Amino acid sequence: MLTHHHPQPRKPSRAVLLGVNGFIGRALAARLADEGIAVAAVGRGTVDLAADGAAETLAGLLRPGDAVIFLAAVTPDKGRGIAAFLANVKMGAAVCAALERVPPDHVVYFSSDAVYPLRGGLVNEESCAEPTDLYGAMHLARELMLKQAVKAPLAVLRPSLVFGAGDTHNSYGPNRFRRMAREGRITLFGEGEETRDHISIDDVAALTLLTILHRSAGTLNLATGQSLSFRETAERVARLSGQNIPVVGTPRQNPVTHRAYDVTAIYRSFPQFRFTPLEQGLAAAHRE
Amino acid sequence: MTANPRIGYVGMTHLGVCSSIAGASKGFPMLGFSPDHDLVAALAAGRLPVVEPDLDDLLRANTANIRFSSEAKDLGGCDVIYVAPDIPTDDAGRSDLTPIDALLSLTFDHARHDAVIVVLSQVPPGFTRQRQRAGRRLYYQVETLIFGRAVERATKPERFIVGRADPSASLAEPLAQYLGAFGCPILPMRYESAELAKIAINCCLVASVTTANTLAEICERIGADWSEIVPALKLDRRIGQYSYLNPGLGIAGGNLERDLATVVALGDCHGTDVGVVRAWQSNSRYRCDWTLRTLHGAVFAQNPDAKLALLGLAYKENTHSTKNSPSLALLRALPPVAVAAYDPVVAPQSDWHAALTQAPSALAACAGADALVVMTPWPQFRELRPHDIAARLRGKSVIDPFGCLDRAACKAAGLTHHILGVSG
Repeated sequence: MLTHHHPQPRKPSRAVLLGVNGFIGRALAARLADEGIAVAAVGRGTVDLAADGAAETLAGLLRPGDAVIFLAAVTPDKGRGIAAFLANVKMGAAVCAALERVPPDHVVYFSSDAVYPLRGGLVNEESCAEPTDLYGAMHLARELMLKQAVKAPLAVLRPSLVFGAGDTHNSYGPNRFRRMAREGRITLFGEGEETRDHISIDDVAALTLLTILHRSAGTLNLATGQSLSFRETAERVARLSGQNIPVVGTPRQNPVTHRAYDVTAIYRSFPQFRFTPLEQGLAAAHRE
Repeated sequence: MTANPRIGYVGMTHLGVCSSIAGASKGFPMLGFSPDHDLVAALAAGRLPVVEPDLDDLLRANTANIRFSSEAKDLGGCDVIYVAPDIPTDDAGRSDLTPIDALLSLTFDHARHDAVIVVLSQVPPGFTRQRQRAGRRLYYQVETLIFGRAVERATKPERFIVGRADPSASLAEPLAQYLGAFGCPILPMRYESAELAKIAINCCLVASVTTANTLAEICERIGADWSEIVPALKLDRRIGQYSYLNPGLGIAGGNLERDLATVVALGDCHGTDVGVVRAWQSNSRYRCDWTLRTLHGAVFAQNPDAKLALLGLAYKENTHSTKNSPSLALLRALPPVAVAAYDPVVAPQSDWHAALTQAPSALAACAGADALVVMTPWPQFRELRPHDIAARLRGKSVIDPFGCLDRAACKAAGLTHHILGVSG
């Protein structure tokens, strides 16, 4: 649940996006620009947050009163091991040090649903964050680092599985299914029984924009409240292709797990927000 | 036979008013005391501060046996004095004991030295023994007030649970005489047991309600109907015909939440496992938002500017209380769409929602609305004909968590009827 420091939406003087070249970063930069918000886009080419001296370099780019949106991370598709964990924590330390030197007006941290264990049960913001891998542990560690370092309102956003046009990852779900469909066949893990909550990139950008405009603080899961099995999702993607794409199972290697969200906190935080229907979101991504 | 003892009630709360009038109906001379002069004047004029079925009639029939006073010295004439103020709670359900401590001190100061003083409010275990004074006769008695059924509960109690310092000692005569007039079992026990008995009763109720809520939600997803299952449970002797099995919108009203918070605090303090109680609290918070989730999924997702008709503002039927009302919680979470509300006894307040208006009747509230939400199961709402509602609504959605409206008639009228525990 978020609390709003600006009950009425108000644009920040500037939004600094750390990690602008990622899937969410690019979509968010475009959304903020559409809204007429000045954006300072910081990618790895500008500051390598994992490099020595990154805090000083970043501090030199920040201005007091900025809204800082921290998206940069070594994502699981680029590494899940100890080296990636340490690099991510080092990036977090650099950002925290820079924010202590140049205090912002607002910080939005993009965490992950990986902070929650996959052991069933309805997930909400009060669910125990008890990560079971280093990627989730890294996000939880960075959340805690920011809570200690940031004096301004801090919003922690924990997105579920994000899909949409411009995806730079190839993780299991609608995006990969779309690419598989182009190759004529969608292959599932097991029979695709697992249920997950897929949120469109447009909804993630819209919710983040609202968080920035309201200068919100607290934790919010970014999910739709509707979980579908991977098979059902794959079949919807296959139908959108307009061809007779087979969706095939494989022998199951891992136990079936489910994840469902209670998104009441989104309804309460942003009563006027409406989710993009899944079919509509998939169709938009399909037109990519 | 000795004359009936004079009974006093300190604190003209819902509990104090109903209990004192019930005592008058048993033929005892009663004194209702409150330091609030205006409240006492209203009571003396027969204007009751609470809405309860049959309470006004019961007072009118027994005015000869009851008087109201704001003079503390009048307590000196009482043989038994019940201390029954409300115990306020914060958002976490923690009790503020300041008001009862103030009234208890006042009672000790003005009561006769041999008078029996009974704490009737909902207090945490350990409270009464800590307030015991040497040479005074202090008791604790469990109250079992139910909003909307207070007269029935006060005049025909199932049993009295009485806590005292020494459970082996006999009950003080005036108290035994008073309680004996109600013709039900009297269960004496030590203070701490009686204080915990009240909490135990409420925990059992919450366990039943939470079970119903949990399984009702599964019913909504798998094509089952919880109302078909309930009779099977009530015929099971281990569960029982009076068990609380109707699904609801979480635990509301404040008293049950208070007891759950007390159990969690006791468990944490004494190192016992109270995880299940935390789960009940979590489920209650989740179920409280059933209507909000249903509205977003069934109405706002299609029509973001949907105009709403809202029936019911009170916390439950037959009461004027809005404390912890699910209806008010819903209003505070709604987008600023137009809401026309009607409640038989509660008038809407502008600070509850930005676009809230009062409708003169239930059907008037429906006129031109895109969806109807029935948040309090007032008996008169059950009389509404779905055909009449459909004729006035612009949309088709009826969100009726408690099933006030006839489901088959809703379907026949072309309405989409969303109720707790039933697949859509």
